[in-house]
Amino acid sequence: MADDKKNDELPLVERWLAEQQQWQRTFTTYMDSLVKNEDFLVHLGNAMRGSLLAGKPYPTQPPPAAAAPETPSEDKLDQILFALRQLEGQVQDLRLTLDELKADKKRGAKKPLPPRPKEAE
Amino acid sequence: MNEGEPEPERDRERELEALLELSRRGRAKLERLHEVLTTPGHYGTGATPATVVYRENKLRLLRLLDEAGRPREGRPPVLFVPAPVSRYFILDLLPGRSFAGHVAAAGFDVYIADFGTPSREDRFADLAYYVEGLVRRCVRTIGALTGEAELNIVGYCLGGTLSLLYSALYPETVRRLVLLTTTVDGDVEGGIPWVAARMGLDGEDYDNPRLVPASEVKSWFEMLAPGSNSTVGRVSDLWDRLDDAPERLREVRTMASWVDDVVPAPGRLLAELYRKLGPGANGIMKGTATVGERLVDFRAVGMPVLSVSAEKDTIAPAAGVDAVRSVVPHAEILRLPGGHVGIVAGRAAAALWKRTVEFLGP
Repeated sequence: MADDKKNDELPLVERWLAEQQQWQRTFTTYMDSLVKNEDFLVHLGNAMRGSLLAGKPYPTQPPPAAAAPETPSEDKLDQILFALRQLEGQVQDLRLTLDELKADKKRGAKKPLPPRPKEAE
Repeated sequence: MNEGEPEPERDRERELEALLELSRRGRAKLERLHEVLTTPGHYGTGATPATVVYRENKLRLLRLLDEAGRPREGRPPVLFVPAPVSRYFILDLLPGRSFAGHVAAAGFDVYIADFGTPSREDRFADLAYYVEGLVRRCVRTIGALTGEAELNIVGYCLGGTLSLLYSALYPETVRRLVLLTTTVDGDVEGGIPWVAARMGLDGEDYDNPRLVPASEVKSWFEMLAPGSNSTVGRVSDLWDRLDDAPERLREVRTMASWVDDVVPAPGRLLAELYRKLGPGANGIMKGTATVGERLVDFRAVGMPVLSVSAEKDTIAPAAGVDAVRSVVPHAEILRLPGGHVGIVAGRAAAALWKRTVEFLGP
């Protein structure tokens, strides 16, 4: 843009020529980034969808193949996997319960023992 | 331009001048866009140093650390519960723009539940899996780490719904509860449940659920944000924004890193939320909500509750959020100017952060 200000003094034809050169420079900069920087293509693709999301492509509809219905065996496998996830949670619950019991026991052990009742004389 | 030039010649020259200006402006926008796209963006992680203290399935429970890399232990623990259909880092966006970081800086021992990105098998995850499972085990883990029997919970959006249900089921473990833009009245028009109905979510299959693609989840949010529900609208919006300074554009990019980075959603969870709490069923208001087999009794929510709504919220309309008073009469209602995301991580978010720290108390 600083170049634009400098060019303002020039005749219109020359300003147009300078503008054309600036566009070539801008185009080259984009091409350069596309070649050198893999992420740039993703970011540019996102911008072309109107998003400045960085680091990953803008969410789009999955290809039809990905949306194809699962086979019954795949469905069963997913159910088993999720059941295993639930089991994982139950095991964690058990571990936490054990930790709580241990902590309670420790707290109990630290407490001074209640005075022993006097033996009957 | 010469005085002696004939009129048509001058008109043509003026036209060319105007075109030149237009060309320069367009090029300047593209140069600005290039500058923004080639500087590092936000890549989906929280801003505050943290350590993972618990993992289960895709969930990570993060504990925020101080400058020296140590957990803060002065004040009671606070668990942040984000919505499982979006990314957690909106609560810990940037240094100086982090809600969780602000609460931690006030001396609280802060934890964030990052639910991660569900994969295909997680489509079977239901409300009980989240409330009785993941949230409850996060609370128990924090209890084991700190030795505290109670903690504070801050739930955001759908994370607030999970937090409210959890607090009603396990009130003895919750010291104070903050609900941010959490819809309680599912009959209030205009929010996600209504859009979801229009998008066909009422037809979501509970018994044979699907993993709802991120693009579909994103489309619901887009339906609610005028101007962003079509590619043409979004591109035109971005093109207009390219007049802004690069710093401002970087901020927009940071927000885009959250707004546009939604995750797929477990179909069973959505089906259950819709059927139990959505329009018509309205389980929280009618007292019919269940988690697993358990009927949720909201009279059990006896701890102090702060419910925050946003005036311009199109995702969780303020009227549906403020309705919490109907089920938790002692809840403090705070309505802030701004939108669903802005009140948590926008420029005016400091008002919410300050009030939350005050509410969480000593």
